[in-house]
Amino acid sequence: MKFKINRDHFANGLAQVLNVVGSKATMPILSNVLIEAEKDQISLSTTNLDLGIRCKIKAEVKETGSVTLPVKRLATIVRELPSVDVTFDGAPNHQVKLTSGGSTFKIMGIGKEEFPPLPEFGDEKAYTLEQSELISMLRSVSYAQSTDETRYILNGVYFNFRDEKLTLVATDGRRLALIAKEMEVPTACAGAIILPAKTVSELNRLLDKGSKVKINFNERRAAFQIATDKDTSGLIDHVYLYSKVVEGNYPNYQQVVPKETHQRIKLERELLLQCVHRAQLVCSEKSNSVKIKISSNLLEIFAASSDFGEAHESMAIGYSGPDLQVAFNPAFLMDPLKALTKDEVFFEVKDEVSPGVFKTLESFICVIMPVRMN
Amino acid sequence: MPTSQALRMCPDLIMIPHTNGLYGQVSDAMFDLCESITPWVQRNSIDEGYLDLAPCGLKTTTEVEDLVRRLQQRIWDELQITVSMGIAANKLVAQIASKLRKPKGFVVVPVGAERDFLAPLSIGKLPGIGAKTEAYLAEFGLKLIGDILGRNERELKAAFGSDWAAVVAMARGKDDRPVETIPPEAKSYSQQETFTEDVGEFAKIERVAKRMIDELLAKVRADGKRVRTITVRVRYGDFTQTSQGKSLVEASDLEAPFYPLLGSLLSEVWNQRRKLRLVSVRFSGVEESGTQLEMFTQGDEKRRKLAAVLDRLNLGGTSAGVSRGHQLGGTKRN
Repeated sequence: MKFKINRDHFANGLAQVLNVVGSKATMPILSNVLIEAEKDQISLSTTNLDLGIRCKIKAEVKETGSVTLPVKRLATIVRELPSVDVTFDGAPNHQVKLTSGGSTFKIMGIGKEEFPPLPEFGDEKAYTLEQSELISMLRSVSYAQSTDETRYILNGVYFNFRDEKLTLVATDGRRLALIAKEMEVPTACAGAIILPAKTVSELNRLLDKGSKVKINFNERRAAFQIATDKDTSGLIDHVYLYSKVVEGNYPNYQQVVPKETHQRIKLERELLLQCVHRAQLVCSEKSNSVKIKISSNLLEIFAASSDFGEAHESMAIGYSGPDLQVAFNPAFLMDPLKALTKDEVFFEVKDEVSPGVFKTLESFICVIMPVRMN
Repeated sequence: MPTSQALRMCPDLIMIPHTNGLYGQVSDAMFDLCESITPWVQRNSIDEGYLDLAPCGLKTTTEVEDLVRRLQQRIWDELQITVSMGIAANKLVAQIASKLRKPKGFVVVPVGAERDFLAPLSIGKLPGIGAKTEAYLAEFGLKLIGDILGRNERELKAAFGSDWAAVVAMARGKDDRPVETIPPEAKSYSQQETFTEDVGEFAKIERVAKRMIDELLAKVRADGKRVRTITVRVRYGDFTQTSQGKSLVEASDLEAPFYPLLGSLLSEVWNQRRKLRLVSVRFSGVEESGTQLEMFTQGDEKRRKLAAVLDRLNLGGTSAGVSRGHQLGGTKRN
């Protein structure tokens, strides 16, 4: 195999697939990137068996073929090559000669045969979405995923295609974020998956390279074809992301979304975020909560830790209901406020043991369980 | 000394079963009597404490002595336990005085006479100086507390290192620590059990450790706290030991989240093919702030109700109490 390639394109391609490879690969081949040269492009694939990525880059292919090379080392070398023109020359013994300007590297590879192929999808359930829309939906909810490995069902984002809409949900059992988008859902294609957290973070990184993203899934796995038509650094066609899904039943999230609205307050998102952020500066690991007090046209935030001190913030609001007071983990308040982009949000509260709910006009809901003060 | 070793050395030893919680009750009764003469009582341990009589308006040393003698007698009359009293101007000297003539000692050190009182005593009477240090200090010719005061700074530094100034203050009978009536906040909750015979059965060790989890978490709940980290320690017959801890993502006051950690912790610490002499469980990472409420945990609410009922039934530990099913199959404790 032999090809000529632009150094920056090659480095960009390797950067797309690099993250999948963990520091402790279970088999040597899983530390490697599969490089396949065909026609006027090369494709780069990595996998950790749970998650795999393939991207394609334009190249001047003189001789087709394939080889696998240790991806981390290769990516570092390619990034630092002296000239933009890089020649890649693979020998039948899997040794690769990399030439660029006055530099030459010989790198030992492993044959393609040992590399586990990325599963390809047939005609499973399939949807096409705008990348910008999916990334915005993912950002609205992904912070609420659980990182507690003992609650593995919650270690991901739930994609639910049903009732003529796509709903994305993430929860760690203490807060729950949900966003929905209306779309056509044929009965035969209705279904749901839990996309693992690692895949969600890769998706967040890979999206926004083009206009469309195609999703295929069944009950065991999912695949994303991410168009790269907006990319200007060598990527062509699409990036293919394959992932196993978290198997199990996602909790019934509808039951935790309060059905009734008690007190609804319209708030300036940035202002509330700043107030909560300042107040929580006095919090400690031991006393990690802020108390929100709502009275006539006034919202106050109190925070205190016995070993440091206290903070008090106040902001004017439009409110004429009864006085209320409820405490929350400040991070749970700040996460949705950071993720949203609208200037105004609605906040609904009832009492000190009922959840607080953030809402926007775009079918976004974030339910936050309070902290019960002793 | 481990019980099994004691039995080997003294086969006729009479073994008295340990009494679940009785010592604690008697201790409480004793301190209650102490509090009848002054509210300033520091409960140092189950059988040791300090009373501050300064705010009691007593005018002479004789009045203080009379009051304390009456207390000593009353403790004997009502509880049939002997206590030794040391009366002095501060905690350090009072403690040393109380231990001087046991049992039923009564030693008074007049104000101003602290230094002279301590001088002829062996250096090992000072807190923090154990048998090994005492032997080490003897090499410097330091045998009595009074010996310390005859030495210059260089010699003292050589013997005591950077702590020398604190040691000199002790030797002079100086101590300004107040009597603290409020016990310091618990930084951890722990329990250990030493077996009369070394145990090699995993199930038994696990059962004992689970019982400790149950008993310790009842205390955690009683204090209105939550804990995050569990540490298991095991000790072999030759006193070598290992320990290992694991933390929950969120602190809890329920047993259920800790049970699944126990098996793997025990396997990690008990990594030698030898029987165990001791097992202990410790909870740390104590948190007291408000409780983060959960969404999908009707199970936890049920467990919390169950725990509250169990805690009420087992309160005081006067009866065998109600224990969980995992304790079945084990030998009874009492």
